[in-house]
Amino acid sequence: MVILSSLKNCFQLFYVLKISAAGFKYTANRGLILQSVSSDVYQNLAMEDWIHDNMNLENRQVLFLWRNSPTVVIGRHQNPWQECNLKIMRKKNIKLSRRRSGGGTVYHDLGNINFTFFTSKKKYERMENLKLVVRALKGLQPQLDVCATDRYDLLLDGNFKISGTAAKLGRTVAYHHCTLLCSADKINLSSVLKSPYKVIKSNATPSMPALVKNLFEEDPTLTCEMVMDAVAAEYARCHQIDHHITLINPADETVFPGINNKTKELQTWEWIYGKTPKFSISTCFNMVYEQSLLEVKVDIHVKHGRIEVCNIVLPEQWLPPAMCNELEKNLIGSKFCPSETTALASTLLRICPQNYELHSKWSLLCENVMTLM
Amino acid sequence: MAALRALRRLGASLAPRCPGRCGPLISPRTGRPQAASARSLGTGALLCAARKFTDKHEWISVENGIGTVGISNFAQEALGDIVYCSLPEIGTKLNKQDEFGALESVKAASELYSPLTGEVTEINATLADNPGLVNKSCYEDGWLIKMTVDNPSELNELMSEDAYEKFIKSIED
Repeated sequence: MVILSSLKNCFQLFYVLKISAAGFKYTANRGLILQSVSSDVYQNLAMEDWIHDNMNLENRQVLFLWRNSPTVVIGRHQNPWQECNLKIMRKKNIKLSRRRSGGGTVYHDLGNINFTFFTSKKKYERMENLKLVVRALKGLQPQLDVCATDRYDLLLDGNFKISGTAAKLGRTVAYHHCTLLCSADKINLSSVLKSPYKVIKSNATPSMPALVKNLFEEDPTLTCEMVMDAVAAEYARCHQIDHHITLINPADETVFPGINNKTKELQTWEWIYGKTPKFSISTCFNMVYEQSLLEVKVDIHVKHGRIEVCNIVLPEQWLPPAMCNELEKNLIGSKFCPSETTALASTLLRICPQNYELHSKWSLLCENVMTLM
Repeated sequence: MAALRALRRLGASLAPRCPGRCGPLISPRTGRPQAASARSLGTGALLCAARKFTDKHEWISVENGIGTVGISNFAQEALGDIVYCSLPEIGTKLNKQDEFGALESVKAASELYSPLTGEVTEINATLADNPGLVNKSCYEDGWLIKMTVDNPSELNELMSEDAYEKFIKSIED
């Protein structure tokens, strides 16, 4: 039986979370099941950080349930240019976020459920958590062929990935989180998780692409709500606590002091793009200008999301060398970002000779360089 | 938890077992830190810097005022194959216990905590292309950062190698 507490209970929750002395139910001591009312990925990731940093998990474990509106989530040490299609994401208004745990890139939408299992470092045990999820699913649908692999994925029918795992080990607390595809938009998923680049050289951690499936395709009665409830029930059974899900609002600073700062940090360019391990793009591409095909060679090195080295080689005299050098010089130090490059290119254009041919060549070159970003 | 605290107190008064070894800078008689003079191992002009350990499984070895920091064998085994090392910039100022980076392994992303207060002077650039060095040679080639030692007295709060070995035995139980 699920009892969803209203937000009014958040005040009680504050004490449950912060004070370990008497004054609340014994069962809250051993375990808590929390569910976010927000579908904002940054707020939900901030909630994970807050629990990790503030809760005393020595003798207590927490399960956190959350879902996000369409977003791509990359791992701590990954390269977004390498992992997803930023152009399509910008067009479709799909957010990009970077989580603090390791692992690969995933697509979230409201058809995907995220489970975060918080424990002390000692009790960190990913396989046990996954077995719990499998038991919950089989409880709902005994015919379901779902199992955990030694890479901590969950596979449906032995072939299709329905869940991926990542984790973070902190000072005294650990968390293991995993996704679960119930009814996610697979078309969006495959279009955004394919990078247009083949030419990035980087030591960022790569993702392992996999065939995916939704639980819903196997059994249309398996909705997100049912699955979340089943996992919560199994968690409650294992930890001998009440099957009681507390709704929490990750934007509530009174219950979670400091959480809005965490949310802000997760949204900064410096965190999302700037944390990318250094990489370089060395490529040739062709431009068409007035029926001639021109070859352009570009070599760009990016560190902390900013251009460190920039070499653009054009056919001789196609553009005055001074102009090209000016572009290269100004790109160095700027963010590897199309909007910043557009602004830069427009500024530079204003100070160069007012000549239609030069302007159109310049715009063509800048447009092409920007497609790399 | 109480046992661990007791162990830490005990660690400070453990006598070195092998006289010829580079032992902890603790007087066996009083249990108090000796004046800072590392016993050398005999041959060579290089002073042996006694390795000290934190309860988060980092080690630091100080030589000529510069501390070299890495993770212990216990830690590298627990982490599994390391696939990425995220290290700070040179010049970063760290307080003791500040987070200074992370190691990503097949197991998880794990934070790294500074054993002492100081400034980062060098980072191990070979780890960028070869993060597995931390697993293969955690005490030698797999070092992580070098840093200045702003408060040498903080070294006394860390565990000697013997104390650390006892510490990990206690957590394994």
